[in-house]
This record gives sequence, structure tokens and C-alpha cells, in this order.
Amino acid sequence: MNDPHIVSSFDRELEALQATIIKMGGLVEDAILNGAEALLTRDTERAELVRKGDEAIDALEDIVNDETVRLVALRQPVSSDLRLVIATLKLAGSLERVGDYAKNIAKRTSVLAEMRPISGGDATLRRMAREVQAMLRDTLDSFVRRDTALARDVVARDQDVDQMYNALFREFLTFMMEDPRHITACMHLHFIAKNLERMGDLVTNMAEQVIFMTTGERPDDNRPKGDRTAFMTATD
Amino acid sequence: MLDNTRIAEHTMTEQRTKISARKVQVYYGQNHAIKDVEVDILDKTVTAFIGPSGCGKSTFLRCLNRMNDTVAIARVEGEIKIDDEDIYAPSVDPVQLRAKVGMVFQKPNPFPKSIYDNVAYGPKIHGLARGKAELDEIVEKSLRRAAIWNEVKDRLTAPGTGLSGGQQQRLCIARAVATEPEVLLMDEPCSALDPIATAQVEELIDELRTNYSVVIVTHSMQQAARVSQKTAFFHLGHLVEYGQTSDIFTNPRDPRTESYISGRIG
Repeated sequence: MNDPHIVSSFDRELEALQATIIKMGGLVEDAILNGAEALLTRDTERAELVRKGDEAIDALEDIVNDETVRLVALRQPVSSDLRLVIATLKLAGSLERVGDYAKNIAKRTSVLAEMRPISGGDATLRRMAREVQAMLRDTLDSFVRRDTALARDVVARDQDVDQMYNALFREFLTFMMEDPRHITACMHLHFIAKNLERMGDLVTNMAEQVIFMTTGERPDDNRPKGDRTAFMTATD
Repeated sequence: MLDNTRIAEHTMTEQRTKISARKVQVYYGQNHAIKDVEVDILDKTVTAFIGPSGCGKSTFLRCLNRMNDTVAIARVEGEIKIDDEDIYAPSVDPVQLRAKVGMVFQKPNPFPKSIYDNVAYGPKIHGLARGKAELDEIVEKSLRRAAIWNEVKDRLTAPGTGLSGGQQQRLCIARAVATEPEVLLMDEPCSALDPIATAQVEELIDELRTNYSVVIVTHSMQQAARVSQKTAFFHLGHLVEYGQTSDIFTNPRDPRTESYISGRIG
């Protein structure tokens, strides 16, 4: 880390801002894991907790938004301080979106619990959720430690999430073709898989923010992208 | 990203070099105040010199119009060229040089004369006006350029010292531009002014850059960020970092610059 500021209250404010992001990140990590677990066990109570928990995440985002505006107005941060404040603002926005996707998974869980269970897909969904949660955890660690190597690793791992999504896309398509009675459930499950894939993208953006915040350079845009479903057809 | 999609006005096309300094050293007696400074200051650009007190920024600024000549113990070495002409060459008359390289100081220092005479003084001694009508024209034009004409046009014969601080500073700027300088040096021109007068002077600096190369020494980092396109950071007599102002304030290369601009204990 950098040397401390001469005005120590500035340091305390920046630390408080980072602590808020970490707290928010922790809640979002829980939402991902609990959302996925609730889905796989069709546990509607747990799903309800995830839905309720989203309010706390939104409230933290409001705090980050207000604090960054205040900091910019009153402290006029420059250089790495400025990048930290801007990155914090963007990280909070991304975390809030990831939280929303987790909430959406929980909502669909309540619907799916009423339906005939579908065999298959569960293992991949679980792995996807775990990978996204691990990517988020590593991103938050890289944020705290200013660890660009770890952040780059996260960026590279998004490809795995995309590949799992590709596999699920194919699988759900097959189920639906085999038995049209599966269509409703499969549509929900597909949205859930898509939500997880989007979470991976957002977490990747966050990791890129950490790289920018730390180095002042935007990472190259040639990261591996693995979502190929835009080109898939039922006959593939 | 394409350059023309940038939002900021600050990013501008590079101008040609107006002032070039090479291996400049300044000694005050035994004290080595400026060490090996090399810099190319651009035409039609505002360049800000920042750095802690005693870092040499004002000393270096004063080299650019040979104000250090007036300090008995000061010795300047190295080469400073304006438009490829060595300003320390024996053939150069410092008085002529200072007409070409105007200066505005920290404290407004109008002459104890009328507002009109303050501005007319330079053009008179340099013989820039033939007759009263032409002189009137120069005075009006200079006062307009310094954005003070409307406030003083009805009392041009009143003493310049009777104006407010901000008005006095703009009067001094009018006086500096009256000789049609090519370079304008400003040594903390706003440190004695209130925020409104500061904003007026900053607006003026931005206008002046269409015609001049402006170099401003300032202790206010925000001011440097607001008014300049190029920033030079001085530390202990060295020019540590020189670059686009937007780069210096978002991603400086040198840790000493970073510590200074972000208010850290370096």
C-alpha cells in the first residue's frame, strides 16, 4: 500500500469505503452460495432468505454511492486515491447487480419447487455457482491486497464459467426436445444458468477494475470469451 | 479509444516548443537550488509548476526571464532558449527579454499611478505606441484581455492601488500583456485572491493560452489541474516528472509525484 496521508481522517474514510465494499462482497458471496443451494435442494425458505437479504446489499450500495460523492466533493482525491474511489463506486454497482441475479435465482427456485424435478444439470449449476463465488472471493482479495496477478487469474477463469453455461444450454435444449413438459422448468433453469454466467462477467469486470485501480492501466481487451450459445442451434 | 472522442478540453494537439531548457543549474551562493533541469515548454499551452516550498519551481520560473540576474549571489548555468535563441547570450538585453516574457507576481503590485498609467507604462518605455490614440487603444485592449475593462473604464485616472485585490491582480495581468509578450510567467497569481477573483483569473489564463505560452507556479494542486495542460513537478531542485496534466493527476509515474499530489507523507 501507499504511504499514509498527512490528513489521517482521509485515510480513515478511504478505509471505511473499502470495508463497505468487503462487507457488501461478503453478503453477495453468501447470496450466490445460498441461492444455488436453495435451488438444488428446492428449499423455498432458504430462497426466501436470499430474496430478503438483497435489501441489505442494496442499502450498502447506497452508502458507497453517497460516500464516494462526498469524498470526491470534499477531499478531491487524485491519482491512486481517485482510482480507488472510482473503482469502489463501480465495484459497488457490479456487486449490486450480482446480488440481483442471486435474488432472481431465489425467485425462480420458489417456482421450480412446485414443478416436477428434472434430473441433470444440478451438478453443473452447483459447480458454476461455486466457481463464480470463488472468482468473487478472489476479486475481493485482490482488491484488498492490490494483487493484480490474482485479478488477472479471475479474468482468465471466466472462460470456465462460460463453458459450463454452454454445456447447460445444450443439456436444457435436449431435455426440452425430449419432453415438452420440461419446457417451463428448463426455461427457468436456463435463466438461472444465464444469471450465473452474467455474474461471472460482472465479477470479471470487477477484477478488471481492480487492475485499473492498482496500475492505472486498463487491461487488454483480448481476454478469453467462451460463451458460444449465440451461435448454437438445436441441431448442433 | 480515438482521441477525438475524448470529452475533456484539456487534451489538445501538441504545440511547438517555445522554451527549451537544458542542464539548467542555479546556485544561490553555495546552495545548489536547481539541478539539471531539462524541459520543453510548449507554445499556446498553460504549463503548471508544482512542488513543495523550496523545491525550486519559482527559482526556475525566474530563470525564464532572467529575473535571477537581479539577485547578486545567484548564478545560472546551462542553456535556456526561447524560440531557439539563447536568452543568456551576451547579446540579449534583459529589459527587452522581459518585454517578451512578461511576469505576474504572487502579490498584486500595481504602480502607485493611475490605472491607465499602470498599463501604458510598458508600451511607453518600449516605444510600442505612436501617439496618444494608439496608446489608448493598447490600454483598452489590454484591460479587455485581462477581463477588467468593464470594471475600470469609467475611472481610468483613479489610482491602481485603490482597486480590490482581484482587480489589482487583473490590472497587473493587463500591464503584463500590454507589451505583447510571447510568454507569460505567473508566480502564484491567485494565492492572495478570493475564489471568485481566482476563477476570473483562471478563466483569463485559459483565454491567454490562445496567444501565449503561459507558465504558472502554484501551490494549489486543484488550480494546476484546472488551468494547465502540462504539469511539471519539482522536488529538491530536480524536475521529477513532466507530462500531460491529466496523466499527472490520474496516474503519475514517479512515487514522489504521487505522494505529493495526493497529500501523503512521502
